[in-house]
Amino acid sequence: MKKNISLILGIILVFIILGIWVLSFVRMPYNPNEMNISNRFLGPGLDRDHVLGTDNFGRDILSRIMYGSRNVLLVALVSVTLGSLVGIFLGALAAILKGPVEKIIMRIMDGLMAFPGILLAMMLVAVLERGIKGSIAAISIFMVPVFSRLVYSMILDTENLLYIKAAKSYGSSKKQIFFKHYIPAMLPRLITQFSSSMGSAVMIETSLSFLGLGIQPPYASWGLMLSESRQFFLNYPYLAVAPGIAIIITILGFNLIGDGLNDILINRGSNHE
Amino acid sequence: MNNTVELKNLHIKAGNTSLVYKTSLIVKEGEIFGLVGESGSGKTLTAKAIINLLPQGLTYTADEIITVGKNMLTASNEEKRDHIGKNVGYIPQNTVFYLHPLIKIKNQIGDGYIQHTHKTKQEALEKAEMLLSKVGFKSPKTILNYYPWQLSGGMRQRCNIAMALMNDPKLIIADEPTTALDTTVQKQVMELFKAINEEMKLSILLISHDLGLVKRYSHSLGVMYAGQIVEAGSASTVFDEPKHPYTQLLIKIIPSLNIKKNEPLTEIPGFVQDKDRDSQGCLFYNRCPKAMDICRVKVREHMKEDHYYRCNLE
Amino acid sequence: MLSYVLDRLKSSLVVLFVVSIITFFVLMIIPGNPAQLILGTDATPEAIAELSSAMGLDKPLYQRYLSWLLDLLKLDMGKSYVYGESVTSLIARSIPVTFSIAIFAMTMAVIIAFLFGMLSAIKKNSIIDYFSRSIMQLGTAIPSFWIGMVLIVYFGVKLKILPVSGFVPIERGFAHFIKSIFLPSLVLAIGEVGTLLRIVRSSMLDSLKQDYMDMARVKGLGWGKIYIKYALRGALTAPLTIIGMQLAKLAGGTTVVETIFALPGLGRLVLTAVEHRDIVLLQGLVMFITSTVVFVTLIVDILVMLFNPRIKSFHQGE
Repeated sequence: MKKNISLILGIILVFIILGIWVLSFVRMPYNPNEMNISNRFLGPGLDRDHVLGTDNFGRDILSRIMYGSRNVLLVALVSVTLGSLVGIFLGALAAILKGPVEKIIMRIMDGLMAFPGILLAMMLVAVLERGIKGSIAAISIFMVPVFSRLVYSMILDTENLLYIKAAKSYGSSKKQIFFKHYIPAMLPRLITQFSSSMGSAVMIETSLSFLGLGIQPPYASWGLMLSESRQFFLNYPYLAVAPGIAIIITILGFNLIGDGLNDILINRGSNHE
Repeated sequence: MNNTVELKNLHIKAGNTSLVYKTSLIVKEGEIFGLVGESGSGKTLTAKAIINLLPQGLTYTADEIITVGKNMLTASNEEKRDHIGKNVGYIPQNTVFYLHPLIKIKNQIGDGYIQHTHKTKQEALEKAEMLLSKVGFKSPKTILNYYPWQLSGGMRQRCNIAMALMNDPKLIIADEPTTALDTTVQKQVMELFKAINEEMKLSILLISHDLGLVKRYSHSLGVMYAGQIVEAGSASTVFDEPKHPYTQLLIKIIPSLNIKKNEPLTEIPGFVQDKDRDSQGCLFYNRCPKAMDICRVKVREHMKEDHYYRCNLE
Repeated sequence: MLSYVLDRLKSSLVVLFVVSIITFFVLMIIPGNPAQLILGTDATPEAIAELSSAMGLDKPLYQRYLSWLLDLLKLDMGKSYVYGESVTSLIARSIPVTFSIAIFAMTMAVIIAFLFGMLSAIKKNSIIDYFSRSIMQLGTAIPSFWIGMVLIVYFGVKLKILPVSGFVPIERGFAHFIKSIFLPSLVLAIGEVGTLLRIVRSSMLDSLKQDYMDMARVKGLGWGKIYIKYALRGALTAPLTIIGMQLAKLAGGTTVVETIFALPGLGRLVLTAVEHRDIVLLQGLVMFITSTVVFVTLIVDILVMLFNPRIKSFHQGE
């Protein structure tokens, strides 16, 4: 029961962010890009026009948070999806074909994983363009090794399980085995990894935007908002609070879901034995 | 005469389930007391309760637990730990995991000794060497430099025995000391216990499922069934005149009761129960060939000249 | 044992080889002629052609790769076009900064993680445990730059006890050195402490369940012996591996922190290289950083093996 707290809390947090995301398409209090110099640096307050205040250009912060959620979630979702699909495909290929194909693919994955975190993303952004496309490409490539390694090891493990050998021995076709046995065994862990990777993707996107390598103006991103607020942060600390909290909620939410799912899996797994 | 262990009415629970109920025993000074029973009968738990080693999550109550002169129910945790460390040697089942795999023998055999006597490491090692040769090692110095996983089961067992003797304890608790050993080593180890008991006048609580072993080596014994002591007394009395049907059946199928929990004994149909161990009726009722209706509801306790048994029969 | 080490060495070299290929070829995709970038927009086509030829840009790709690789082995990483200096010397100057904060950060993380991880496992489900578990979760979710900014405001500006930018090399006084790296290291540590704490806690929990703990208790040993000599000793393998991985990761992940705190380290160099598409600099940096990562990982693996006498003797026969 206790373990589910993670999962529930995570789901709540992600729902909050999704809620903000949905609302951003329905109705934002102000135009997020509308500058109003005379209104700049207004502090936050529940009773005011601008609930979260305005930034150095007089733009409404709440609207920018909502607007920013679109890009952050877009980049994260697309990257992780792309990365996972490619990774799963390559990992499966390596595990099934074996031989030289296996060695080459896994060596490449080892190589990719040797690049510490952001470095790989930054290098890729240098090569591709900055902005949404560049971020998506960079983060997708970053995600590939994790998924490919995961699928590769899961397939190899599953192969050795007795019931698979049994199924093979009474002649079930490869495809049958694959769909009936392998996929159900792998799916839970893949989903867990997907959730955790969403958290990482948001973290990387935010970092890239903060460094000016990710989402560019006029689009908004929380990382970008933080970077823009740096100059004025000393005098107007509230500028960084809202985007910071949005980022934390999102990452925490996905991580908690990933952890909660992981705990459930471990419990279910041990019950099978 | 001082009793090394006085245990009265021990009741151990895990949550709401009783594991050990109404268990009492007395280990007299200088004697070997055999605690016999099948797997799951509660022998190890009883022994652990005596030395404050029950795992977290289990609760226990008792009218009396006096171990080597100390009232374990009223002493503080600190006192208990200190007292047990000084006066009791514990030789566990399955030694494999009880010696720390990453620490050499020489670095773990003497730490209790150093703690309680404040002697130096050198002195501890000297004593360890002496004890190791006493338990049968030809080159104790080499043994000291080994890691536990480099030794065989029998060797580890003997290290444990030497370790237990470091503080010149008054009580040794040996839990299934022969299970993991082959027969020749078994005999060596048991003869060792006998020698230690006679030489050093140590009391030994010998836990075993092997009735034959217990018969040969103990002075007194207690038979446990489903968490209760159903019969106890001097070894000769219990073997010559067993009063409890369970004991009688066990004696019939010596030499060994090496059977897993929930597997029925060859001659006794049924299973040892896990639930309702604290009911007032006789727990052996379902399997007893001499059961009567009243046995389901009530059991009489008899105490005749140190011979104790719980049965409605005479 | 030697053959194990050689084996790992071989794998590491293969990985580095793959990394070099990825680095070189990925960065070749950048459009634009490096020679042109260096000479600027108003250079004449002849000058560009001459420089291109001098730089070997007209040779086939694999030849350029090989000569780049060979130069690397001679520690010649070329000249940065942004800074006009040799890449090697730029990197050499930046190493002390990055390594200082990485090592200091790891030290802080280790102290906190072990302290709270052990306490948390020993007193499971107590207040300390819940507190530790919150650290675990929050640590990994809080973006470093956000914490960095917050800390700058409070410690640097409001309380004015710590500097908020700039790096003071150790030669100019140990106290000043520590002060200058304290905040950035703290920020990095916050990012790592969560994961490490989790591993320490779970390893300790496993160790505490082992039978040897019973023996330690029966012998009546004191707290220190029970928890450190017995429990902790059995719980070190996983944390040590993780520490190695984290240290390696930090070597390449300091960009954001260095930017916020204006530290002239490797991370800042990377950012500059990316912003200006200074390929030569970027190639050199990436190879250096990744090599450090692979090397540190190798050392850690070997250390962990040596540390566990069972595994060590398993390999000793080789």
